[in-house]
Amino acid sequence: MPVSRPIRGSSRVDQIIVGTCVLLSLLALVLPATVREPVASVLRQSVLAPLIMLQERAELSRRAFMLHEERIEARDSVTLKALSVSALQSENGRLREIIGLGARLKWGFVPAEALHGRGVRDAYSVILSAGSNSGISRLSPVVAPEGLVGAVERVDPTMSQAILWTHPDFRVSAMSQDGSTFGIVQAHLGAGPNRFLMEMRGVSFRTELKPGMLVVSAGLGGTYPRGIPIGTVMSELKTPESWARTYILRPAVSPSDINSVMILRQERVTEGVEGVWQQGGPNEAALRAILAAGDSLARAAALQEAAARRSAIASMRTDSIRAAGGAVTAPAEQSRPVTQPQPQQPVTPSPVEPQNPPPQRDSVVRLGPPIGARRDTTPSPVPREPGR
Amino acid sequence: MRLVPLLRALASFALLVVLHYTLRPLLGWRAPMDFLLIALLLIAVRVRPGAAAMIGFAIGFVADSLTPAALGAGAVAMTLVGYGASWLKAVFFADNIALNAFFFFLGKWAFDIVYFLAERRVGGIELVQQLILWSPLSAAVTALAGVVLLVVMRPLVEPSTA
Repeated sequence: MPVSRPIRGSSRVDQIIVGTCVLLSLLALVLPATVREPVASVLRQSVLAPLIMLQERAELSRRAFMLHEERIEARDSVTLKALSVSALQSENGRLREIIGLGARLKWGFVPAEALHGRGVRDAYSVILSAGSNSGISRLSPVVAPEGLVGAVERVDPTMSQAILWTHPDFRVSAMSQDGSTFGIVQAHLGAGPNRFLMEMRGVSFRTELKPGMLVVSAGLGGTYPRGIPIGTVMSELKTPESWARTYILRPAVSPSDINSVMILRQERVTEGVEGVWQQGGPNEAALRAILAAGDSLARAAALQEAAARRSAIASMRTDSIRAAGGAVTAPAEQSRPVTQPQPQQPVTPSPVEPQNPPPQRDSVVRLGPPIGARRDTTPSPVPREPGR
Repeated sequence: MRLVPLLRALASFALLVVLHYTLRPLLGWRAPMDFLLIALLLIAVRVRPGAAAMIGFAIGFVADSLTPAALGAGAVAMTLVGYGASWLKAVFFADNIALNAFFFFLGKWAFDIVYFLAERRVGGIELVQQLILWSPLSAAVTALAGVVLLVVMRPLVEPSTA
């Protein structure tokens, strides 16, 4: 450190100055608070004001920097929780539907979890968490609350493998809901999004299915009982066949929604399931009300809280309007009656295309032992329209 | 002190004061560096002991206004450190980094000793811990910062040859 002046000691003046400064400092130390505070306040508001502002900003910056990582962690955890809430709500809804289906079936079924693999056959088959120990046998129908899922292909003691309706070998005899039209339903095996549609073949040329009509299993062949929803008619597929019609169906069960399923035992298949999938009946409404009761209390509490909040806001508005001398009118929200939650109506799932590339018809690998013996019919070798 | 060196000294002094109220709270260390003391020491070696004492008193008194309960403690500490630094400036005559660092270290430690004794807010074991542990740490950090600033601000703090 450079020194700009020659070395010299302190003179008497310097000593007097430093003594005075020390005395003033000690005097400030012993001053009463009533005197110290105004002096400090004057200094803070004048000389130190810009420096205090700088210090405040610096401390805020430091605090923000220190909290940055914590905020990120909190945000991530909130995001994760939000994601899990959505998944839980979805799973909750599925389980309720499964419970509803079980209540309607009453007997002769085994609930199971469908485990999707990650292989080539993802879209064709699933592993089910129930096997022969639970009374499952080959060809047992696999159903979901929305309708038909597939059939059990192989059975182990504790688990089984089922083919889905998307399997190229899948066939089921089908009919319109009124029983006037019959045909065979199989996977459409088209390209792109059409891969996960169904087609109903062999429909009599004299009859015509309108879009939106429900197609259910016909019960012919003994594998699938009568009355399980398969899909709804979308449009007619033009083919060179002149003796039969072919229709494109929107499947009742999307492959991506297959998580919890029911496996029908043989005695239940023999007994039939007619009426189980009929929607809108009194039993259905009562069952849905019972299922919704679990949440109705929480919803009622939330609605009461919201109503109280609305009434408080309305009273504040009323007071302000009265204070302004205006007429008091009830706001629209206040006049709206508080209604109890209504059970949700079932929503027909739309087909979701999985990530696997759609297989070409001529490149489909036959999986496992052929199940043609248990087909309800043999697929006709009629070629499709070019470009489909 | 001529005009140009005076202006340079004032510029470096202002810069250090700003650093004291921005960088120090931004770092928020338990043993903080004291840029005001560095500024006082840089000024003190250039002026007479009496002037250094007055500058120290002014700096300390203004800084004490942030802690009205200890108004005067910083002033008396800064006065004594400024006076002592100016009186002892003969020791620090060369561009010796180690000596300058020791100068800053000694100044900051002396300031803390006087300050905490005059403040009388801390006592007992806590005072001993403060003066034996945290004050030397703070003095070391201040010395390091002072040396770095001396190197960085050499054009400002060197005396003019003109």
